[in-house]
Amino acid sequence: MATYLEFIQQNEERDGVRFSWNVWPSSRLEATRMVVPLACLLTPLKERLDLPPVQYEPVLCSRPTCKAILNPLCQVDYRAKLWACNFCFQRNQFPPAYTGISEVNQPAELMPQFSTIEYMIQRGPQSPLVFLYVVDTCLEEEDLQALKESLQMSLSLLPPDALVGLITFGRMVQVHELSCEGISKSYVFRGTKDLTAKQIQDMLGLTKPAMPMQQARPAQPQEHPFVSSRFLQPVHKIDMNLTDLLGELQRDPWPVNQGKRPLRSTGVALSIAVGLLEGTFPNTGARIMLFTGGPPTQGPGMVVGDELKVPIRSWHDIEKDNARFMKKATKHYEMLANRTATNGHCIDIYACALDQTGLLEMKCCANLTGGYMVMGDSFNTSLFKQTFQRIFSKDFNGDFRMAFGATLEVKTSRELKIAGAIGPCVSLNVKGPCVSENELGVGGTSQWKICALDATSTLGIYFEVVNQHNAPIPQGGRGAIQFVTQYQHSSTQRRIRVTTIARNWADAQSQFKHIEAAFDQEAAAVLMARLGVFRAESEEGPDILRWLDRQLIRLCQKFGQYNKEDPTSFRLSDSFSLYPQFMFHLRRSPFLQVFNNSPDESSYYRHHFARQDLTQSLIMIQPILYSYSFHGPPEPVLLDSSSILADRILLMDTFFQIVIYLGETIAQWRKAGYQDMPEYENFKHLLQAPVDDAQEILQARFPMPRYINTEHGGSQARFLLSKVNPSQTHNNLYAWGQETGAPILTDDVSLQVFMDHLKKLAVSSAS
Amino acid sequence: MALHSPPPAGNKERGWNDPPQFSYGLQTQAGGPKRTPLTKRVAAPQDGAPRVPTSETSPGPSPMGPPPPSSTASRPPAVGSCPASTVDPIDFPVTECETLLEDVLRPLEQALDDCRGHTKKQVCDDISRRLALLQEQWAGGKLSTPVKKRMALLVQELSRHQWDAADDIHRSLMVDHVTEVSQWMVGVKRLIAEKRSLSSEEEANEEKAAATSENQTVPEQDP
Repeated sequence: MATYLEFIQQNEERDGVRFSWNVWPSSRLEATRMVVPLACLLTPLKERLDLPPVQYEPVLCSRPTCKAILNPLCQVDYRAKLWACNFCFQRNQFPPAYTGISEVNQPAELMPQFSTIEYMIQRGPQSPLVFLYVVDTCLEEEDLQALKESLQMSLSLLPPDALVGLITFGRMVQVHELSCEGISKSYVFRGTKDLTAKQIQDMLGLTKPAMPMQQARPAQPQEHPFVSSRFLQPVHKIDMNLTDLLGELQRDPWPVNQGKRPLRSTGVALSIAVGLLEGTFPNTGARIMLFTGGPPTQGPGMVVGDELKVPIRSWHDIEKDNARFMKKATKHYEMLANRTATNGHCIDIYACALDQTGLLEMKCCANLTGGYMVMGDSFNTSLFKQTFQRIFSKDFNGDFRMAFGATLEVKTSRELKIAGAIGPCVSLNVKGPCVSENELGVGGTSQWKICALDATSTLGIYFEVVNQHNAPIPQGGRGAIQFVTQYQHSSTQRRIRVTTIARNWADAQSQFKHIEAAFDQEAAAVLMARLGVFRAESEEGPDILRWLDRQLIRLCQKFGQYNKEDPTSFRLSDSFSLYPQFMFHLRRSPFLQVFNNSPDESSYYRHHFARQDLTQSLIMIQPILYSYSFHGPPEPVLLDSSSILADRILLMDTFFQIVIYLGETIAQWRKAGYQDMPEYENFKHLLQAPVDDAQEILQARFPMPRYINTEHGGSQARFLLSKVNPSQTHNNLYAWGQETGAPILTDDVSLQVFMDHLKKLAVSSAS
Repeated sequence: MALHSPPPAGNKERGWNDPPQFSYGLQTQAGGPKRTPLTKRVAAPQDGAPRVPTSETSPGPSPMGPPPPSSTASRPPAVGSCPASTVDPIDFPVTECETLLEDVLRPLEQALDDCRGHTKKQVCDDISRRLALLQEQWAGGKLSTPVKKRMALLVQELSRHQWDAADDIHRSLMVDHVTEVSQWMVGVKRLIAEKRSLSSEEEANEEKAAATSENQTVPEQDP
């Protein structure tokens, strides 16, 4: 292995894992002194083209409290046909099917290259995927038409044997019966009254046929289609009727008086959707897809009243405790989200409106269930349409890129305990010897449920080193962690993906350099950011910033090289050199700053931050900036106002926005039309190059980002100016001698000032 | 990318900075040569101060010169230096001549006739109704040339029993031209599915028949 960078990259590609530390401090005390916790970003279902699943079941350790899965780290006695568990050291007999094994005849799971392996499980019934559309009809005509077309289109993209259902809502909630016969019937519910799951099931007639059967014999999954047949039907059977039904959907017929908002019963509609699936398809992959064009305005879960003169809550209202409906609504949606998670289903929210729609109150529905959250201006935008299409995209094997009902179990060596996880999951409350009492994120458990996930869904998992100080380095010199993800593949098979990793222990005194060199600053930045964003959901913004600052100062004190009280002597090694600037940009990011964002926008940004993989998360923290010019190939440049030059084109990717910015001279050239003159064809190519690169990003990104084409002096240049480090401002403009770069009109602290303060505090003996 | 016409812009009226609309073919193009992802970062110098920027043009509002002419400056490549993909999945080999309604509709109706008896009457009637809608819209000049051309290809694939290919064209039409086709396309989709199941049944029957005829050479032994 040449360098740690290569080691880190290889491990990410093979195992979908990035650790903050790749050599582990061997005692609790030393680990806490490292400031950044031992933690990892895990992408459980990372796409692996070279990993066909094996068609047998995993071999488990026989100790009932362990049950770790046989893996390449286990010691094997080929003669006696025994293997020793590397987590609990239990000696296990191989099952009869393994009698033929020898040093030269090993099953895949013992080979080092299969540190990640996937098993296909044959047993158990396979039930079809379920897609339940919950559609707001209080939309403008143009929006409703576009949404109807998108939904009709989706019938062509769904797996043909998937079950599909339709609920529409406005002032009332309608559950549509789907049948192949001509007449369409629906059940109408009032939007003001919340109903229990039992009441919903009674009213929809879901309980009656099921009751005697349940008494007669144990639950039979085969009976399910019978019970639900009226509301959830296979796509290939009812696609024609459902196309017509969708085509005939009308705007909510109830009149909306001037000065009023339409009455929108989102809370009850979702409650009915959850109850319907709860009663018919518990514990099988199902998506509730909510499409809404405005805030819930009546019944349980209402976020704002129907008087237009009273605006929807802002951050200011929330700070002043003046958001009347927020707590009650949040409670309603949390109750629904928890029930949905218990049933193993997920809720997607597609909210398209110019004003807020209540994502703040509803966010838990997507966050706890692994559902998607999409925010757009209108259903008639390519942002919504293409984002929605991409939900149904397929991988290289032609399988849908979605998985359901996953449980993630983490097992650790004795010297480690599990502190918690942050991501689109809920706790399964499984205690055990490897669960720490100190929680980071969602803790107190060694198992989490992820109701819906895809190949990029990523969890942050935090650990605690518990080995005592001065105790010897643990036996074998390495610590190990096993991640076991059981899930329903989109082909409806049950699968188990197992990743087993090991890292060296090191004594923090004698082997400090090893630990330092094996620091993964990118993973560490994202893991610390997730902790900060997780806390920001419940704590005040300034407290989080102070906490992040304190951690950064401590880290610099520990790993910087400096002479006491001499800031100019301060240096960080290569493996730490980017970390302070990540923290600088994180402090300015919309994940921690709510200024200039609505509560809905903050919820939306945080939702995506808590589920994306390392590369995407890092783009969110510190956007990427590329510069295009005549002076050479495009190159990455500092995210700094000094990079904004007259003869350059910049391409910025913030994950949510792709910005192309033409410098002043370039913009003038374009205005003068040089790109249309044959002798200046190279200028045309220069203009085209960032556009081509931007399209490459746009084609792959989920959700679809906004696409901003702007130039020097353009009003939309603000998207670039608000992200770059303001190294030149109106305050210090003339200190630079000559006018290069672009001064930013801000009083925000620049990275230079930030670094100066950081160094001062790091080298000071007082702090 | 250079070979494609740029994707149409998004809906600027309804959404600010709406991204361009990519076609189904571009979005599902899997495994094609990928550019180097733009994920590189530059580390700020440790003193935090940016290096002295180098702008080759004179700073400030001095009179603007022209850009360097093509002969002196080489064309800047896009970051990913791989050659642009040359396979355009939508660029089907279609002749330039106008697609005729008759050429599309007749095979579809023929396929529907084949399915009668095998498929429930109600479903057949439903498909028939949608084919009539297709005819009406085509004859009324409401369908665009790309839709017509792709329908001709779909019919070709259908008659060649290339079910997956036909289905994929149907999907591309639904994604790229949903407004035009949503009302009747579902009938075509269903027709593809019914024809496929019919033909696999026929194949099974033929095999069975072949097996039976073989068996028949063995003298029957009635008790």
